[in-house]
Amino acid sequence: MTDVLIKVGFLAIAALNGAVIFTIMDVKGASWMQRRPGPLHVGLRGFIFPLAEILKFVQKEDIIPTEVDRPVFKWAPAYVMVSCVALFAVVPLSPTLVVADLELGVFFALAISSLGTIGVLTAGWSSANKYSLMGGLRAAGQLIAYELPLILAVVGVVIQAETMSLVGIVEKQIEWGVPFVVGGQIVGFLIFMVAATAEMMRVPFDMPIGESELTMGFMTEYSGIRFLIFYISEYMNMFILCAIASTLFLGGYHVPLLPTEWVNFYGPVVLITKTAILGFILVAVRWSQPRFREDQLQNLAWKILIPASLINILVTAIMKVGF
Amino acid sequence: MINALDPQNMNNFSEASVSVEIETEDMTLNIGPQHPSTHGVLRLVAKVDGEKVHDVKPVLGYMHRGYEKLAEVRTYPQITTLVNRIDWVAGFSNEIPFIAGAERLMEIEVPERAKHIRLILTEMARISSHFVFNGAYALEVGALTPIFYAMEDRERVLDLIESVTGGRFHPNFNRIGGVKPAAGAGPTSKKNIQDLPAGFYRDTKVAMEKVIEAADQFQNLIGGNEVFKKRTKNVGVLTAETAEAYGVSGPILRASGVKSDLRTQTDYLPYDQFDYDIPVGENGDCYDRWDVRVKEMVESAKIVLQAIDSMPSGPLQAKVPKVIKVPKGRTYVRAENPKGEMGYYIISDGGLGPYRLKVRTASFSNVSILPIMLEGALLPDLIAIMGSLDFVLGDVDR
Amino acid sequence: MEEFFNNIKESFKDAVLEFETINIKVGSTEWIEAHKKLRDEFNLKFFSWLSAVDWDNDVSVGEAPKESVSPCFEIITCLSDLANTNLITVSTSIDKSDPKIDSLIEVYAGANWHEREAHEMFGINFENHPNLEKLYLPDGYEGNPMLKSFELISREVKPWPGDVDVEGMPEESESDETPDD
Repeated sequence: MTDVLIKVGFLAIAALNGAVIFTIMDVKGASWMQRRPGPLHVGLRGFIFPLAEILKFVQKEDIIPTEVDRPVFKWAPAYVMVSCVALFAVVPLSPTLVVADLELGVFFALAISSLGTIGVLTAGWSSANKYSLMGGLRAAGQLIAYELPLILAVVGVVIQAETMSLVGIVEKQIEWGVPFVVGGQIVGFLIFMVAATAEMMRVPFDMPIGESELTMGFMTEYSGIRFLIFYISEYMNMFILCAIASTLFLGGYHVPLLPTEWVNFYGPVVLITKTAILGFILVAVRWSQPRFREDQLQNLAWKILIPASLINILVTAIMKVGF
Repeated sequence: MINALDPQNMNNFSEASVSVEIETEDMTLNIGPQHPSTHGVLRLVAKVDGEKVHDVKPVLGYMHRGYEKLAEVRTYPQITTLVNRIDWVAGFSNEIPFIAGAERLMEIEVPERAKHIRLILTEMARISSHFVFNGAYALEVGALTPIFYAMEDRERVLDLIESVTGGRFHPNFNRIGGVKPAAGAGPTSKKNIQDLPAGFYRDTKVAMEKVIEAADQFQNLIGGNEVFKKRTKNVGVLTAETAEAYGVSGPILRASGVKSDLRTQTDYLPYDQFDYDIPVGENGDCYDRWDVRVKEMVESAKIVLQAIDSMPSGPLQAKVPKVIKVPKGRTYVRAENPKGEMGYYIISDGGLGPYRLKVRTASFSNVSILPIMLEGALLPDLIAIMGSLDFVLGDVDR
Repeated sequence: MEEFFNNIKESFKDAVLEFETINIKVGSTEWIEAHKKLRDEFNLKFFSWLSAVDWDNDVSVGEAPKESVSPCFEIITCLSDLANTNLITVSTSIDKSDPKIDSLIEVYAGANWHEREAHEMFGINFENHPNLEKLYLPDGYEGNPMLKSFELISREVKPWPGDVDVEGMPEESESDETPDD
C-alpha cells in the first residue's frame, strides 16, 4: 500500500515539476521572442512569473455558472489532469527509476493519452455554452484524427525494437549504438511530433481553444483553480509527450558514448534535457505560427500524416525482414 | 467541413457528398458584442451548422453616440473634438475632412506649412492604424507574436504625434484656418507661438526608417508564413463590382484591384507634391487586403520623409475671424482615411454651427458587406474575413 | 470638374456647382430613374452614402434656418466614380406628412443600411426595402432622434456651458521664426 502511495506521490511531483519547467520555458520563450519585459526581467529575472500566475489563479473566485451540469463540470479538469499524470508512469528516467515497467508500455501510454479527450469533451459539453461545446467537439475531432498517426508512428519503433516496453525500447537503442531517430525512424519521429502537438492542442493546432474564434473554447466557463488545473495539465501533457518522444526516438535516458554502468546517475538529467530541447522547439513553433483551420487540420491528418506513417511502417517492416 | 463557395475546394466537396449527410438542426450563435475578435462591440447573429456559417446578421448600435445630432448643437470649433473620436485608431485623420469642409465654405486659404503638418500627421495616423491592423489580424488568425512588435513600433509613431499635438489618440489639433501651436509651446500669445517641437525632424526620420523596416519584418514574419497564406489566400474573395455597389472603399477596394485613392483624386491636402505608389491587390482575398495595408505603410512613411524634407516655412494660421461663422452653403469633402473614404457633408445656414452634418464613415459601408462575404464560410474564416475588413466600431456606429 | 459638370447639366437642368460639390435636384417620382441614369450613363457606380435633412423653422435643437423654409425632408445621396474625381450629390424633397420614397436597393445594393438608418432616424419609409428595421436603435425605442423637433434631453436638463468659444484664435501669426532643427 505504501509502495503504491510513494509511487503515486513520485508521479504527481515529477509531472508537476515537469509542468512548471515547461511553463517557465514557454513564458520565457514567449517573452524572449516578443520582447516582453515582464517574464524576462521582472522579479528574479522573471523566474517567479509562473508563481505569480499560479497565485493569481488560486486566489480568484471559482465561478460555476448556474446552467452547467455541476458534477461533470467540476470534475472534468481533474479527469484531464489525472490522465496526464498516469501517462508518466511508464516513462523510464533510468532502467530502474521507472514507476511501472510494463510489458505493454507503449500500448498503455497510447491508450491513456487518448483518455484526456473525454475530459475535454465533457468539459465542453457540461459548460452549457455554445463556444465551449464547439471547442469540445473540435477537440474530439482533432484527437481522433491525430491519435491514428501517433499510434502508427510508434508502430515503426515497436517493429524496430521488437518490444513494447519503454525500457526495452531504450535498451535496444543503447544496443544499436544510435537512437532510432538516426537509425531509420526520422519520418516516424516527425509524424509523432506533429501528431503530439495536435494532441496537446498547441499552436498551430489549438482550434479547440482558439481564443480569437471561440473565446477560450472548452475552457470558456472555467475560472480560478479549475482553469489553473487545465492550464497546468496542458503543460504536463506537453512535458510527458516530449518525454515519451525522447524515450522512443531519441534514446531516452542514454546518450551514445556515455558509460552504461552509470546510467542510473545521469539518466534523469539526460532525459529531462532531451525533453526540454523538444519542448523548446514546441515553444518556438507556438510563438511564431498562426493557427490552422479546422478542415486544413483534418486534411493534414488524413491525407498526409496517416499515409506517410503507413508507408513508414511498410518500409520499416521490409527493412526488418530483409536485413 | 468544406467551404463550398471556394472553387479550390470543389473537388473536396464532391468527396464529402459521397458520405451520408445527417440532417441536424442549425445552432444560432451570437458572436459579440463582447468577443475577442469583433473590434469593439459588433454583434453577429449567425446560424452555424457544425463549423459552417450562414445567414449572418450584423447588429449595430452598441457604440452609437449620435454625433450627427450632437453636431447640430455645437459650434464648428467644438465639433473637431467630437469627430476625433469617430475612428479612434486614427483620430487625427478624422479631423481633416471636416476642417477642410469648413474652410472651403469660409473660403479660407490655409498656409502651406499648416497643410504640410496636417499631411505628415495624417500619414502618421495611417501608419499607426495599419500597425494596429497588422497586430490584431495576426492575432485573429492565431499568431500571437506580431501584435507585440506592432504595438512597440506604433508607440514610436504615437510619441511623435503626441510631441506635436499633445494627444496620442485624440489630438484635436486642427483649427479652422490652420493648426494649433504645438504642445508645450507655451501660451498662444503673439510672441510665443512655436510650431513643431525641437528634434521633430530627426525623430521622424528615425521613426519612419523603423516603419519601413517593420513593414519588411511583417512581410517575412506574417506574409511569408505558410500557415498564414493557407488561412488567407482565396478566403473571402470580394469582387470589384460588389465592392463598388456597396460603397466599400480604401484598402479593401484597392485589394480587389481598383486603383482608387482619394489622395491623388482630390486636393484636401497637397499630396500631389510627393512621389508615392498606390498598392493594388489582384484577387481581393484576405491576403491581398493584408498585403495592401503593409505596402501602404511603406508608402506613407515615404510621403512623410519627403514632406519633412520639403517643409515650407511660414505661418501656421490663416487670418480667421474671432467668432467663426460659416457662410450659407453646402459642401461634401471626402478624404482617404486609413479605413477608406471618410467624408463630411456640411449644410451651413450661416450660423455658429452646421444646420446638418452628415458623417460618411468608411467602416460603415465596409461592414455592410459582411452578410454577403460570410455566407457559407467556416467559423475560422469568419474571423479571418471580419479581421481583414479592419473596422472600428466607433467608425461604424458614429 | 467643369467638363463633367457641363455634361451633367445637359441631362439635368437643375444641377448646381457650389463649393466644389455638384448637386442635382430631382423630383421624388424620378428618384430611381435619375440614379439609374447616373449609374449607367455617367459611370457613377460607387455608392457613397444616403442621408436626409429635416427642414423646418420650428426647431428644438440648434439654430433655426434664418429664412423661412417649407417643412420637408430632403433626401440626399452621394455617388462617385472611382476611376476619376467625379462626384455628385443627388437630392429630392418629400412631404413630411407622408414621408415615403422608393428604395434604391435595386440600383445600388449598398443603399440598404443607409436607408435603414434614415428610416429610424427620420421616420422615412423606403418602399420595396426588403428589411426596413432598426439599425442602431434598440427595439422598442420610440421617436426619430434626428428630427429637428426631437429634443436633446441632456441639453434641456443642463445648458451647454461651451456656447461661447473661450479661447480666442491667435490674432497674428507674425512670428515667422520657427525654432526647429
